[in-house]
Amino acid sequence: MPARRFPFLTPGSTMTALVLAVLLQFTAPPRTIAVDARLAAAAGLRVGDRVVVAANPGAAGDTVVVGAILARRADPSEITRNAYQVRMHLDQLQSLIHYGDRVDRFAVATRDSAATQVALRAINDAAFGFQAWPSHEIAAETSETFRVVSRFHRAIGVITIVASAIFLLCILLLRVDERRRDIAALRLIGLSRSTVLRSVVLEAAVVSVLGSALGVLIGWGASGLVNAYYQAFYDTPLRFSIITTGIVLFAGVLSLLLGLAAGTLAALRLVRTPPLTLLGR
Amino acid sequence: MRFTLAFATLGRHRGRTVLAVLGVAVAFAMLLDMVMLSSGLRASFRDLLLSRGFQLRLSPKGTLPFDTDATIGGAARMLATLRALPDVVAVSPVLGGQLHIPRGRGAVTSFALGVEPGVQGDYELLSGHDPRRPDELVANDELLRAAGAAVGDTLTAASGYDAQLRTMSGTRRLVITGRARFLYLSAGQSAAAVPLSTLQGMRGADAADAVSLIMVRLRRGTIVEAARRRIQSALPRVDVISTSEAMARVDQRLSYFRQLSYILGAVSLVVGFLLVTTLVTVSVNERLGEIAVMRAIGVSRAHVVEQVVLESGAIVLGGAVPGLGLGLLTARYLNHILSSFPGLPAAIDFFLFQPRAVWAALGLLALCGVAASLYPAWRAAVHPVAGALREEAIA
Repeated sequence: MPARRFPFLTPGSTMTALVLAVLLQFTAPPRTIAVDARLAAAAGLRVGDRVVVAANPGAAGDTVVVGAILARRADPSEITRNAYQVRMHLDQLQSLIHYGDRVDRFAVATRDSAATQVALRAINDAAFGFQAWPSHEIAAETSETFRVVSRFHRAIGVITIVASAIFLLCILLLRVDERRRDIAALRLIGLSRSTVLRSVVLEAAVVSVLGSALGVLIGWGASGLVNAYYQAFYDTPLRFSIITTGIVLFAGVLSLLLGLAAGTLAALRLVRTPPLTLLGR
Repeated sequence: MRFTLAFATLGRHRGRTVLAVLGVAVAFAMLLDMVMLSSGLRASFRDLLLSRGFQLRLSPKGTLPFDTDATIGGAARMLATLRALPDVVAVSPVLGGQLHIPRGRGAVTSFALGVEPGVQGDYELLSGHDPRRPDELVANDELLRAAGAAVGDTLTAASGYDAQLRTMSGTRRLVITGRARFLYLSAGQSAAAVPLSTLQGMRGADAADAVSLIMVRLRRGTIVEAARRRIQSALPRVDVISTSEAMARVDQRLSYFRQLSYILGAVSLVVGFLLVTTLVTVSVNERLGEIAVMRAIGVSRAHVVEQVVLESGAIVLGGAVPGLGLGLLTARYLNHILSSFPGLPAAIDFFLFQPRAVWAALGLLALCGVAASLYPAWRAAVHPVAGALREEAIA
């Protein structure tokens, strides 16, 4: 870097200033860095500790002071990497890794979404060797891991729903089958087919609703366990399982519909059979 | 006799039996998928790592190969050290970078590997020949498509941009000499390989003597872990990673899928167990009078138990056959979804078909079937004969 000239200094005072600057450089306190909590825990670092940071193991580096310990951000793109993180002053890192006057990316704040679009166009028109992206696209790109996992979960969910539907149908068929003698008796004392059908379907609906309510409670507990386990496992504040009203409604309605369908199927079979046949006569 | 009775019982309620078989089929399909998921990723990753015969990989300290942009400096000396070791048969240095190929107003950007073609282990040549001269490259189909080029064409490619001068840096004219399939790339990623010295030269002074990764092939019969320790102590500036170590690290990263496979596999077993238990128990309850008559005319308890176990086994076996097909189909679909998992080679299968996985799933299901029949079989065996006959007569 070329020496900076100070027009108000004489040659003698320039020398004095230079000596002072050198002394200040030697006596200046080390600069600070911030380390993430996982690294701090693994390396036993605390705020105020002095460490040497270098670009390569064993290479000469800079002595710095740990100025802060950071909690990890809820960033899906970092979830599987689990890398240690150190935050440094930009110029110090550039110097340390011989990166020159370069950066990997800029973050630009804009007034509103219209200004964002204008800025994007202006930057990309002038850009050479780089490109500006809106934050939501970056977020979508870095969340690719979770999007793939979500697609996988949805597919597993469909298989689970099919299995649950068959299970529910089986149970309700058995339940109605068990009552064939009661139903035969009811038919013999004069209850109409439609009354019997409605009562069986209503029973199936009640079983489905009660089962769904219990399922929501179990799901809520399981969701809490999943979050607690994976947040600890990956050392992240990300929430892995979220139960929304939409999910509860979807599961409840699906369960009710399946219950009604199974109840109707089972009841139709029974009411179409003569009561005496149901009694085994 | 036992078989006849068991099948007659199942045939009496066809609808119920069909539903039970369907339920078991879905549960078995899920179980098979989860067994495949729990072991497939490891096996697939291991096969991929060993496919080119390199047992050790050297990467910058604290990183996995190509996990970051970090490089290993002083590569020439390091390579000489490695080649002098008696256990080492071949050393393959690799430098990663980017190639920018101007096209229209923009440029096609591709992943680039600098390799020594004679010992490289990163791609399989599909047609043409390796880049033997400094101005040659091989590319995968994705890059050829994006650049609108074919084998034999000459491309202008750069390794970077100088934004201040608004020019491309490290520009070269390169002849495409072959089509290749890159083994460790994600699906749809375009890539090219050039001689190591070419990419080092294109990337400038910083990369003149740098590599991103060194792969080491050991002499046959060498104990890999012992060789790894020797190399690690000789070259402390890098991480020396064996195949098992790499697998352990990938296991750690993707442990979610293994845990999920255990949980869902257990859920499938529980669902199958409950379904079979419920159906067989109800079936036994309905036939208590019939069973009492059989016992009264001299049929032994063991015979009754065997009949109930056979009934359960028939449901399980009946479900396992369609479940196998369903499981393989769903595994293929699920594997397709996970093949776009970021940062993983497209060649890795999460759901790898292995006969061992099928046998394991079948064994677990058979155990589940036997366990599911225990309660109804016990109930059928110990139910008092006289009481059951009286109840049947009154009914």
